[in-house]
Amino acid sequence: MQIYLPIAELPVNMFMLFGMGGAVGFLSGLFGIGGGFLLTPLLIFSGIPPAVSVATVTTQVVASSASGVVAYWRRKMIDFKLAGMLLVGGVIGSAIGVWLFDLLRTLGQLDLVISLSYVTFLSAIGGLMLFESLRSMARRRSGVRVAARQPGRHNWVHGLPFKMRFRQSRLYVSVIPIIFLGGVIGFLGSILGIGGGFMMVPALIYLLRVPTNIVIGTSLLQILFTMAAATFLHAMSTQSVDIVLALALMIGGVIGAQFGARMGQKLRGDQLRLLLALLVLSVGVRFAVNLVLQPDELFSVSAAIAEVRR
Amino acid sequence: MRRPLRQMIVLLGLGCLLAAAPAAPAARAENLIAALSADRVNIESNFTGTRIVVFGEIARDALTVARPEPYDLAVVVSGPEQVVTTRRKGRFMGIWVNRDSETFERVPSFLAVHTTRAPHEMASRTVLERHRIGLRNLNLPIAIASDVPIGDRDNFREAFLRLRVQNGLYQEQTDSIEFLSDSLFRTSVSLPANVPVGEYTVSTYLLRGGALLAQAEQPLTIAKSGFEQFTYRLAYEYSALYGLLAVALAIFTGWLAGVIFRRD
Repeated sequence: MQIYLPIAELPVNMFMLFGMGGAVGFLSGLFGIGGGFLLTPLLIFSGIPPAVSVATVTTQVVASSASGVVAYWRRKMIDFKLAGMLLVGGVIGSAIGVWLFDLLRTLGQLDLVISLSYVTFLSAIGGLMLFESLRSMARRRSGVRVAARQPGRHNWVHGLPFKMRFRQSRLYVSVIPIIFLGGVIGFLGSILGIGGGFMMVPALIYLLRVPTNIVIGTSLLQILFTMAAATFLHAMSTQSVDIVLALALMIGGVIGAQFGARMGQKLRGDQLRLLLALLVLSVGVRFAVNLVLQPDELFSVSAAIAEVRR
Repeated sequence: MRRPLRQMIVLLGLGCLLAAAPAAPAARAENLIAALSADRVNIESNFTGTRIVVFGEIARDALTVARPEPYDLAVVVSGPEQVVTTRRKGRFMGIWVNRDSETFERVPSFLAVHTTRAPHEMASRTVLERHRIGLRNLNLPIAIASDVPIGDRDNFREAFLRLRVQNGLYQEQTDSIEFLSDSLFRTSVSLPANVPVGEYTVSTYLLRGGALLAQAEQPLTIAKSGFEQFTYRLAYEYSALYGLLAVALAIFTGWLAGVIFRRD
């Protein structure tokens, strides 16, 4: 069934959208990630203009993180103060990101920056996760017990000024790395249409040593607000949020996520991380191949952004 | 229900025009009368492209000069003009990036040319260019600030036309105008799903022996309607409200899902 998208200005098959939303939702439920980094490329590869894909996925991420936040809130596993500080950075990062997004679009280099950033971030993070999960699998096989959180140990992050106490996370750290982390993720989120959960979660655990049970809920809450801000800013400056596309993706996504979450409980942590690493890496490689191989069509045509039409 | 009614009105109007034609004082040249099956195309949520029929009549009277050559007709449907940038990728440090670009000003966002035979057989290039008869005869004015060398510009022109033809926004069909009688003609122009919205012009030209004998022009409006138009206007004119609505919708959907699939 074809449905005409009012902002993307083209008809697409609605079941294809439900399918994509569902598949990505399944993976996001399985791995506890937003799935934006999978959904945006899928939309771009299926012919939706990159600008609309990125802006609309930010909206979809709002929906998927909202449903997660509800669940974690009920279990009181969110550090609101930490999320608030991350958010301060996130809003600043999003604003810079949306501004740059608009600038790159007029320069005609938006697609390149999206591709390059995907290659860089996905390969780096995918590689790290692959390495980490393989190491922990090997350790488990050889029977070495992995020490969990070591509250006494400090790294360089704990030497920074402007310290603040976070009761729920049992932390006393500088706000600089927190705001910076929020900023980077907000920036990437608005440029790439990703929530950044797959970067936020490891950063909070390994860099700031936030307890694992608090991390996911807090990260989801922060992503919810950052992506809500990014959606709003995209709507204001680029007008490329397609509400019909977003709704179709959300419906598929939230249903898929439920099945994914159930499946996820049957797999071990390091197996999950290995699968996720392979997934992240393959998306990165897909972008890299596109950049390196000579394209079939060297030319592209883009019309100047239209003024208000009635 | 509305469309057949409108067609009838158009046909009635056409009839009136035909009836009025002989009353005109001593016409010597041919008259061209043309009409559209619809003067407005509405884009709704189920829009996947449509067709409009352009039909008309070559009106002659006893005083019209008899000519040996056959009549040639051209129907040109052109969309609102826009500024378009054509970019070319080049290899830069091992990866393919957009390098050169050429900006064309005032090019039609949509162009369909239907003719009775190949445009270059019908008239001189000057006539064809003036009326955009044939894609080859489309003027592509270049923005003043262009850093592409003159010798390279044709490549951009060619690429632009090729890409526009590929996504269905530019079409050229020779032999597509059907004569129902000696003087009645008809052609059907397809408007693809990605047709841009705006005010269109449908021009019909009657040529013979390389000379333009008569022309007729009809406006055509392609607009989003109902929900599509509402959403589009909201997004562009009330962006802040649209943004807030999008966020609210997303949070509501997420919350609803969280409640429905609650497991504890």
